Amino acid sequence: MKNLTLNLRAGLTKAAIGSLLVTACAAVSAQQTITVGATVPITGPLSLTGTQYFNSLKLAEEDINKAGGIKGAKIAIVIEDAQASNSTMINAFIKVVQERKPPFVFLTSYSTQNIAVAPEVMKAAIPVMYAGGANAVADLNNKWMFRIRPQDSTAATAMARYVKDKLKASKPGIIYIQNDFGQGGANAAAKLLEEQGAKPVGSESYGQNDKDMSAQLLNLKNKGADVIIAFVYPLDAALLLRQMKTLGLKQPMMISSGGLVPATIQLLSPSDLENVWGVTDAFLAGTPKGKDFLERYKAKFGSDVDPYGAAYYDGARLMAQAMSAVGTEPNALQAYLSKVKDFQGVAHVYSFDDKRNGVHDVAVVKFRPGTKDMEFIETITVK
Amino acid sequence: MDALLQLLVNGVALGSVYSLVALGFIIVYSATSVVNFAAGQFVMLSAFFGVMTILNLKLAPALAYPLAIAGMAVFGVIFYVAIHLPLQKRPVVSVIIGTVAAGIVMQNAALLIWGPLPSRIPSLFGDANVSIGSSVVTVHALATIGITLVLIVLLYLLLYRTSAGRAMRAIAQDVEAARMMGLPVTLWLGFAWILAAVFSAFAGLLVAPMWFADVNMGDPIALKAFAATVIGGFGSVPGAIAGGLLVGLVEILGASYISSTYKDLLSFGFMILFLLVRPQGIFGERISERG
Repeated sequence: MKNLTLNLRAGLTKAAIGSLLVTACAAVSAQQTITVGATVPITGPLSLTGTQYFNSLKLAEEDINKAGGIKGAKIAIVIEDAQASNSTMINAFIKVVQERKPPFVFLTSYSTQNIAVAPEVMKAAIPVMYAGGANAVADLNNKWMFRIRPQDSTAATAMARYVKDKLKASKPGIIYIQNDFGQGGANAAAKLLEEQGAKPVGSESYGQNDKDMSAQLLNLKNKGADVIIAFVYPLDAALLLRQMKTLGLKQPMMISSGGLVPATIQLLSPSDLENVWGVTDAFLAGTPKGKDFLERYKAKFGSDVDPYGAAYYDGARLMAQAMSAVGTEPNALQAYLSKVKDFQGVAHVYSFDDKRNGVHDVAVVKFRPGTKDMEFIETITVK
Repeated sequence: MDALLQLLVNGVALGSVYSLVALGFIIVYSATSVVNFAAGQFVMLSAFFGVMTILNLKLAPALAYPLAIAGMAVFGVIFYVAIHLPLQKRPVVSVIIGTVAAGIVMQNAALLIWGPLPSRIPSLFGDANVSIGSSVVTVHALATIGITLVLIVLLYLLLYRTSAGRAMRAIAQDVEAARMMGLPVTLWLGFAWILAAVFSAFAGLLVAPMWFADVNMGDPIALKAFAATVIGGFGSVPGAIAGGLLVGLVEILGASYISSTYKDLLSFGFMILFLLVRPQGIFGERISERG
């Protein structure tokens, strides 16, 4: 009986020590992983660009952890599918916030979705980074939302300036995708052009799922447009450029950044890109960091990265820097990010203004005749 | 006037694609009373079969196109056996829901297999254009119209000049009576699905050089084709053709002369108008009149 009591006591002691060890290990393990959320369109019509920053975030996660993580703790980026509608985006955000309780979340690159999820971001009270371009997102004045690419008015101003000053347009026409981004860009460009004495002769729009834009292009041609400015997403950009050529339209086209991504270019022939200028977020091949990132991305994923993907990579690195400096407390992170100046990323140098816009310049590019190679023309900075 | 000609050709070419898909709807509906809500994904899959045979396998066009069409015919059989047959004794709404679910599976499977990047299938006619005055019309658009016409004629001949067509029309009129007359109804229903799949194959292979093969291409096409079917008259072959052409023309001419922003509103508004004023469509017969 005495032996039985002794054995039982020994057994219980061992079990207690074991439990303590397991709990301690779990606690250490939990401390060693910082979970960051991301809502990315993995399926649906927006998955074309979603795949870019899905990959970039995974690459950033790998690089950050290889460099020692956040003071020894690894980061794990947990991705929820935002799909293509505002409701799915909101659900994805709520899910990741409620289930994972991250100190930080990456949102999508679609302004409509960014605007839709802003109230939930306010409720969650954690910093987020987004890449939607519409000015309306920053105008919400949500202190938690940080933009990591140029806003649409920057791109639109640059496009309008270049079209007027360098392409000497006197009767520009505008065509745009019918949503916050397209309409915002078109309105900003139209306003600037009118102020400069080159009022657009026409402004045509098309829906996200439209495939035939011949009516809109012919309308602009018939109104005498001498240059066409286009605010586009990747797939419709390719359709537009093809249809310009098949309809025999010879006007120069100035296209927004969505039309210059690899997903668009791979659908086109060199002849489709003749007389096409563009404004892109960043000309990655123009800097050593950008070039290195291009090569590493291609080696890992077998496809070319676009400036959206590069922006999310930079965003993740900036987030890691912030966490290393001030920890993961949301208010401290928010305060740190608000004061960031001159953070050198692979795509840009980031400095957040009072509306938390981090990028204030774009690159004008053109395609070398007979090729699909982009060549850098100039950088336009808009304060 | 030249711009009008360009718009008319584009509108008819667009309408031809909608007509082909609408004919797929009609063929299945007439035989089985099922509205196939996966019709758009049939078109998408056809485009990707074209991607496989033309771009990936780099087969000669004389082999690539028939192989892609044959592939869709086989898929039609698989769809009939896997979706329709197991559900055919259930209420028709169960079969319809089955097609919706199958469509979602098809789209996501395509995304897994081919990825999100669209593909461009070169047209058999290249980038050749025809100039008429100062307007430019692509040979591909003209060919789309021509091929659709040929298919419509072949369908007419099949339905009205062959015993197979007689059997299909008998089953469409009254499936139980057809069964009692000794017709192998199960086989002919399967043939209807194969025929619908083949029409979708032509639609997909004609549309992919114009619009690119993309896993999300099916739904917008199916919606417009459904509107075409409603306008033309459910169950009516001439109705599917007329409806498709009308939707294509309303879309293109509406965008040009009324509003590009609201062109979808115009197309679907037209459909709603028909539902209110003439619900049986242009060529459809009232349900009470079906014998």
